[in-house]
Amino acid sequence: MPQLNPEFFVSQLFWLAVFFTFLLVFLWRVSLPRIATVLEKRQNKIDENLSSAKELQEEAMEIEKKINDQINKAKLETDEKIKETINTLQEDVSSQLSLLDKDLEKKVSDAEKEILKSKDDQMKNINNEIANITKLTVGKITDIELSENELNKVIETHKGSFN
Amino acid sequence: MAAKDSPLKQFEIDPISNIELAGYNISFTNSSLSMLITVLAITLFLTLTVNTRSIIPSRMQLVSELMYNFIAQLLSDTVGDNGKRYFPFVFSIFMFVLIGNMVGMIPYQFTFTSHIIVTFALAAVVFIGVTILGFVNHGIKFFTFFYIPGVPFYMHPLLIPIEVISYLSRPISLSVRLFANMLAGHTLLKVFAGFVVSMPFFTGVFPLAFIVALTGLEILIAFLQAYVFAILTCLYINDAYHLH
Repeated sequence: MPQLNPEFFVSQLFWLAVFFTFLLVFLWRVSLPRIATVLEKRQNKIDENLSSAKELQEEAMEIEKKINDQINKAKLETDEKIKETINTLQEDVSSQLSLLDKDLEKKVSDAEKEILKSKDDQMKNINNEIANITKLTVGKITDIELSENELNKVIETHKGSFN
Repeated sequence: MAAKDSPLKQFEIDPISNIELAGYNISFTNSSLSMLITVLAITLFLTLTVNTRSIIPSRMQLVSELMYNFIAQLLSDTVGDNGKRYFPFVFSIFMFVLIGNMVGMIPYQFTFTSHIIVTFALAAVVFIGVTILGFVNHGIKFFTFFYIPGVPFYMHPLLIPIEVISYLSRPISLSVRLFANMLAGHTLLKVFAGFVVSMPFFTGVFPLAFIVALTGLEILIAFLQAYVFAILTCLYINDAYHLH
């Protein structure tokens, strides 16, 4: 077995020591710090990004809160405005209605007065007509000339029967 | 010992250039070349892929980061915060064994992790380092590591030697595990490769298919052994901090 041949033991040990020491020192001083720097840099970057993401999230939450507040405020304001408008409209309507009512009442009372007046007029005319007709009729039938006083007297007495 | 077509021939060490230092033969061999390729592959890959240091990684940078995080996680899971100081060492061991095993999977490439002297040296570094660490952290109290609390007193004469032996055999088990796995895997591959050539007609495709499957398994084992080596190193470091 060549492994047990001591001829090259020293040579192998010597070169092993040389190369392994070189490897150890090189990795220790050059390669590993480089990798460590990269890893650290990346970790820092990730941490940085995470913290900034957290900050942004907080900011976003604040903004959302502000928006909600404003929405609520706007809602309240609009509710108030709607109520106010409804109230003013109702007042308007009621005042208009009362005005209309008054107007109507006035018109109704005016009309009533007119009606009464025209009724009176008509009643007077009727009396005169009755008197005339009676005078004419009596004159034709009997040749009796009735005086105005007599006629009025008769009409007055019978007024209730045709009124 | 190794005949021309022996499956063990692949483990023979061939010097590329003969060097001698203070009377010792420190020739640059195929094993050394394999180590050099491994070390260059690791350092170049880990350096170049992270060269841009981009926050959004390229695919290759991601691989480097994955390896980094894999070992960092392993170390923090087993040792905790104390383990951070040993991260470069554990990471180097893991990468050296992993890429060494992988380089060995390339056809005609030498597998230095299949040599007991190499794996034993690595395990010995871990063992000696952890033992020193234990003494630095706990002083003479480190010896209470071999004393298991909550056991009847008459059991201690039996248990303490067992504990000592199991502690002392750590570097052996650590190194032999890796060495034997690599040796067995590569030998098996070579044996079946021999079948492909020597079997008559087209029947050679059966061992060939087996080799393909076995190569996948070997790659898995290459990773697994590196992982085991790293996690045991972590556990030993943890023992040096928390005696029981």
